[in-house]
Amino acid sequence: MRQRTAWIVVAVLALSLAGCSRTAISFRVPVEYYQLKNGLKVVLSPDDTAPIVAVAVYYNIGFRIEPRNRTGFAHLFEHMMFQGSGNLEKGAFFRLIQGQGGVFNGSTRFDFTNYYEILPAHKLETALWAEADRMKSLDISPDNLKNQQGVVVNEVKVNVLDQPYGGFPWLDMPQVANENWYNAHNFYGDIQDLEAATPEEVMDFFKSYYTPNNAVLAIMGDFAPGEALALVKKYFESVDPFPRPEFPDISEPRQDKERTFSKDDPLANRPALALAYHVPERLSPEYFAMGLLDQILLKGQDSLLYQALVKKEGLTGAVSGGINLLGSMFNYQGPMLWTVSLFFDDIASSGRIISVVDSVIDEVRTNPVSREDLDTALVKMRSGLFDTMGSGFGRADLMACMALFDDNPFAVNELEQRFKAVTPELILKTAQEYLRPSNRTVLTIRPKKAAQ
Amino acid sequence: MGKTMRKIMPLTGRGCILAAVFIALSAGAERQAPPEGGKPKDFILPAKEDFELANGLRATLVSYGQVPKAMVGLMVRTGNLNEPENEVWLANVAARFMREGTVGRSAKEIAAAAARMGGGVNSGAGSDTSGINGDVLSEFAPEFIRLVADIAQNPLFPETELGRLKNDQLRTLSIQLSQPETLALAKFRKTIYGDHPYGRLLSTAETIKGFTMDKIRSYYEANFGAVRSHLYVVGRFDAKAVKRAIRDAFGGWKRGPAPAILPAKTDTRRSVAVVDRPGSQQSTLYVGLPVVDPSHTDSLALEVVNFLLGGGSFLSRITANIRENKGYTYSPYSTISTRYRDAYWVQVASVGNTVTAPALKEILYEIDRLREEPPADKELKDIQNFMSGTFVMTNSSRAGILNILSNQDLHGLGPDYLSTYVQKIHALTPKDIQRAAREYLKPDKMIIVVVGEKKEIADSLKGFGPVVE
Repeated sequence: MRQRTAWIVVAVLALSLAGCSRTAISFRVPVEYYQLKNGLKVVLSPDDTAPIVAVAVYYNIGFRIEPRNRTGFAHLFEHMMFQGSGNLEKGAFFRLIQGQGGVFNGSTRFDFTNYYEILPAHKLETALWAEADRMKSLDISPDNLKNQQGVVVNEVKVNVLDQPYGGFPWLDMPQVANENWYNAHNFYGDIQDLEAATPEEVMDFFKSYYTPNNAVLAIMGDFAPGEALALVKKYFESVDPFPRPEFPDISEPRQDKERTFSKDDPLANRPALALAYHVPERLSPEYFAMGLLDQILLKGQDSLLYQALVKKEGLTGAVSGGINLLGSMFNYQGPMLWTVSLFFDDIASSGRIISVVDSVIDEVRTNPVSREDLDTALVKMRSGLFDTMGSGFGRADLMACMALFDDNPFAVNELEQRFKAVTPELILKTAQEYLRPSNRTVLTIRPKKAAQ
Repeated sequence: MGKTMRKIMPLTGRGCILAAVFIALSAGAERQAPPEGGKPKDFILPAKEDFELANGLRATLVSYGQVPKAMVGLMVRTGNLNEPENEVWLANVAARFMREGTVGRSAKEIAAAAARMGGGVNSGAGSDTSGINGDVLSEFAPEFIRLVADIAQNPLFPETELGRLKNDQLRTLSIQLSQPETLALAKFRKTIYGDHPYGRLLSTAETIKGFTMDKIRSYYEANFGAVRSHLYVVGRFDAKAVKRAIRDAFGGWKRGPAPAILPAKTDTRRSVAVVDRPGSQQSTLYVGLPVVDPSHTDSLALEVVNFLLGGGSFLSRITANIRENKGYTYSPYSTISTRYRDAYWVQVASVGNTVTAPALKEILYEIDRLREEPPADKELKDIQNFMSGTFVMTNSSRAGILNILSNQDLHGLGPDYLSTYVQKIHALTPKDIQRAAREYLKPDKMIIVVVGEKKEIADSLKGFGPVVE
């Protein structure tokens, strides 16, 4: 067993700010990191704020690389992981967790599928046993599959096909802004692909990707690390590993021409517009600069786009978006988009909206941001990071992704510093390359109905 | 599985037990029993400190957590309930308008100040209450309280912003009218409450266009003041500095009026309403009726009934039936929706067009089944555990604590409500639950609303009760 430990006690550092009696408080979290012989990565972060514990298992398989003839399969498969395992018949898992006062969920994202429980602290062992059981042994029937195909088809209808603006922009935009199939397919799934999936395909997928050497187990909450590690070994060391398939090439070519698309939405009453730009490679210096540009341009009512589009021009009531609309700027690994979206009134004003966006973005591509604006962006970023790191599930997610993609969960405590290292010059350089109009895709939703 | 998680493709599963095991990795082997786990740890509610200023403003401080942030929320007892007739959403536009500038600060300065504290200011209105709130870094808690106080007491209501804010409301209304869930809820509320303000979920374009500065200012003047207000601060903060900020910033506010009490009188009769939504691929079902509000002694038993039928877990019978067994739907749920001295229970589901009537039949079947026989001990125990577990989780976040305390205060639930909640839930017996279901989920009072493709579903719904417009 490989072991690396960094024990950084939650530290409250009182730093006095110049000319001000206030103190800036820093927040760091304890991280312990191990790897079992079968390759399973284990991250522990104790926190006794409340007598609860979060257990999360992350598998390095997202919808991006699901089978080409089976769009939506990674997500359908996720549903099947709740349908039965060696020692848990259908229905037993949810009774086990919820019947003891816990909650659970799972989700399928670009680059991982996760399964987690948050439960009373003394039930940690129960959750570990259950996660180990389904890592070892998926046990499902054709009827289970048929049932969940029905559920997932209804899910796609209620979230996308039968909703105004269904899929806008989170599902629509990647399909038009990307060129590589892995990044550009319908990852919720075409109905005929979802309905065509077979039990054999489900088992093949399980045997390809659901192996301990392709996974991270993260535990956060009220527990003693030594005891937790012993339980992890007890239940997970016996899970046999197998080789997982090679990762395909998911890279995107550099975009050098603006792309524009429109989609008719017969259910919508008002038009909507989204703009997306490819972002710098994750964890590069420019990526951290892009995170701060997101704060400066888009986050909060002080942001430049809110002030221009909402407050000054009155073209919309809100602007939303960010890096990775199916998660955060931290939980993915691969090409990604920064997206801005809004609802507006008259399709004829879409040109006006784009020209306002252009003028805002031209400014950050022409002049370095002021130190004051950069500091405000840093404060906003820091405030959000504290929440992510403070909540049971947010911290588990951050640590699991950094273990899964980078083999370095300790980096959760370095994020703040990486953002602080960004200079106005780096912001300018990043904006010049990544906020180019030629790096952009524009998507307009056209309502069929007359505006009411 | 919750609606709020819509975009992250939540999942899930559970359900009925099927005998045929297709791929038996452990075929033949006996199933292993799960480990019991360790000894339960005590859960202690975070301590709170309450005080009242001379002008009647109440304040509650809760020191909680390790994250260096503080959530600040001012709750004011005014909302859609206090709107003049035919001025629906006036409360919303007024609350939104408040952060557009104060006597001393422009809207841009407010937004910039909040951002420098690591947060933002939000303001909005609901049926009974309006709020001004935000979540900031700990060191800025006193300063943020001063900002909230300024917005509450000195809003400028700059006329230059009126047209834009009204236009935003018109857009919001137009978008809401395209959403099947909103249409169903609006019809459901109208059926229960009629002309009472609780029955007016949506405004109209004419009403919004008619909002004037006079109407907005008069509404604000008539409804905001210290007596109706309660400030909550939850998280990590310097308590002394926070108390000083509250006294300094709110001490001079006018007392204002006492809360307006306008209880809804409800007496429903079984009915089915079909709202046409041409082209729908699914039907959105709302099935429910008025029930006792949280101040009533039976409200906890009713909460258990709700969790057992459809509320929030895969243990729920309706979810197990129409999702995990039948595959009719993705995210069915039931809830008890509350207002001051008012509540209704409702089961919601979006189901395929062709299974609209079968899904409705199963929902009504599950309600009847609970009325006819008490739940098994083990089933009830599981539900009680789930409720106490989620109670601990709710009380383990700043937002959860703030919501639960303001809810307790709004409904006047008494000082020991939270500390005895878990114990009282566990004391309920299967017979108590059956009795509550019989008493409050009466079939002859059940309202059914269906939004969908009328020509495909209307005929199949005829047997479910008198059809109403």
